[in-house]
Amino acid sequence: MARAQGEVSLVAKSRVGGTALRRLRQSGSLKCLFPQDAGPALQAVLLNCAGGVTGGDHFSLSVGAEVGTTLTLSTQAAERIYRALPGERGRIETRLDVAKSARVNWLPQETILFDGCSLERSLTVDLQEGAALLLAEPLVFGRLEMGETLTSAHVLDRIEVRRAGVPIYLDRIRLAADVQAQLDRPGVAGGARAMASLLYVAPDAEAQLAMLRHLLPRHAGASLLHEDVLVMRILSRDSNEMRSSLVPMLDHLSQGGLPRCWNI
Amino acid sequence: MDAPILMPTDTQILTLTQWLSPAFPVGSFAYSHGLEGAAGMGWVKDGASLEAWLEDVLLHGAGRADSLLLAAAFNAGTRQRLAEVDRTARAFAASAERRLETEAQGLAFGKALAAWDMVPEELTFPVALGAAAAQESLPLALTQKLYLHAFLSNLVAAGQRLLAVGQQQGQAILRRLTLLCPEVAKDTRDGDLSKLVSAAFLTDIASMRHESQNSRIFRT
Repeated sequence: MARAQGEVSLVAKSRVGGTALRRLRQSGSLKCLFPQDAGPALQAVLLNCAGGVTGGDHFSLSVGAEVGTTLTLSTQAAERIYRALPGERGRIETRLDVAKSARVNWLPQETILFDGCSLERSLTVDLQEGAALLLAEPLVFGRLEMGETLTSAHVLDRIEVRRAGVPIYLDRIRLAADVQAQLDRPGVAGGARAMASLLYVAPDAEAQLAMLRHLLPRHAGASLLHEDVLVMRILSRDSNEMRSSLVPMLDHLSQGGLPRCWNI
Repeated sequence: MDAPILMPTDTQILTLTQWLSPAFPVGSFAYSHGLEGAAGMGWVKDGASLEAWLEDVLLHGAGRADSLLLAAAFNAGTRQRLAEVDRTARAFAASAERRLETEAQGLAFGKALAAWDMVPEELTFPVALGAAAAQESLPLALTQKLYLHAFLSNLVAAGQRLLAVGQQQGQAILRRLTLLCPEVAKDTRDGDLSKLVSAAFLTDIASMRHESQNSRIFRT
């Protein structure tokens, strides 16, 4: 079976009245689209032409946001992580470099894990002093409404955010083998089948805390790690419930800049 | 080749017993690691749910992660590497209260080491303990196991204050959880930070929710 490879590298530059593309390179099964009506911010939508990720696939994305730019990234569809052959693993690597007074909204749609999948994923963000970031990474552990179960899967998911080289947020999740049994544990997910991590780095983070707490569903929490770094963790029964919780929060935090694909 | 396994000396055992005793001025009794939040949400209600919750903390959450950070600090070798381990520990804290509990206990632990003529450093708790154990040439395996035991013992005691769990039931829970500690310590012995993981999402959430809880007897 042919293995999918895909690579996108893009850099956003500042122009009068907004943000434009400085450079785009794409190859293989990963493509990047730019909706026309995105306003002053640059919006980029990633498209996996291979239709999913399986063992042996390798996708990488590298993004640079230059001084003063605003860039919103999302995905055309939910990413599906399919069954992998024994010993094989799908890899996804994303790097975001955000310059001073630039802002990146990293808002991919959910990643759906299928039984037998094997995924190793990393998201590394380097912020310069004064850079802003909104990041949401929703994971769905088998589609409950389709009766899917996850009794044999392997996931290693890492998010690291550094500011001026110093790590300010580090989230590393490993779920292996009978993921469902693990998620049913009371201190793990209490039976939830969807989980989202959210990070907001901006001068108004503290001011947003009370409002976000008000919007939170029951199995979710928000906390201020630093005066301008807000973190949230949200568990939901399934992906629909996850979306209903996330959309109002992301719409608010992105100042109405939530990509249209999220609202369908 | 593995280093030969030496039996800990009396002095080593007693030093660690002193450092990890509830009487050592670290103030662990003030921190519930989100357990008060979980009790407030009704996620932990009785002895059985307390035991299951703490098992997740140990196997999927801070127990395993702290044991690994402790070993990484123990093996650091240089001050620069130790500082790196500590920065990782701070960034890995899932909430403000998680950071508070590891920073405040680490700071208090460092100050209490004045009795060993050690210069206090501002390190997170497992990192401070790992560094001090290396400096005193204490055995890593025993340090990890006693750390995990002290951590669980403190949380069982917190559970007894928060829930209708009696002394005998509390000790029975602690005895069973203690049996899991050697395996966690062994799995994390190499201190390889690429293995630093957590999946105890609800324990993170409980810790976050505790921040805005109305009635609180614990700091975290």
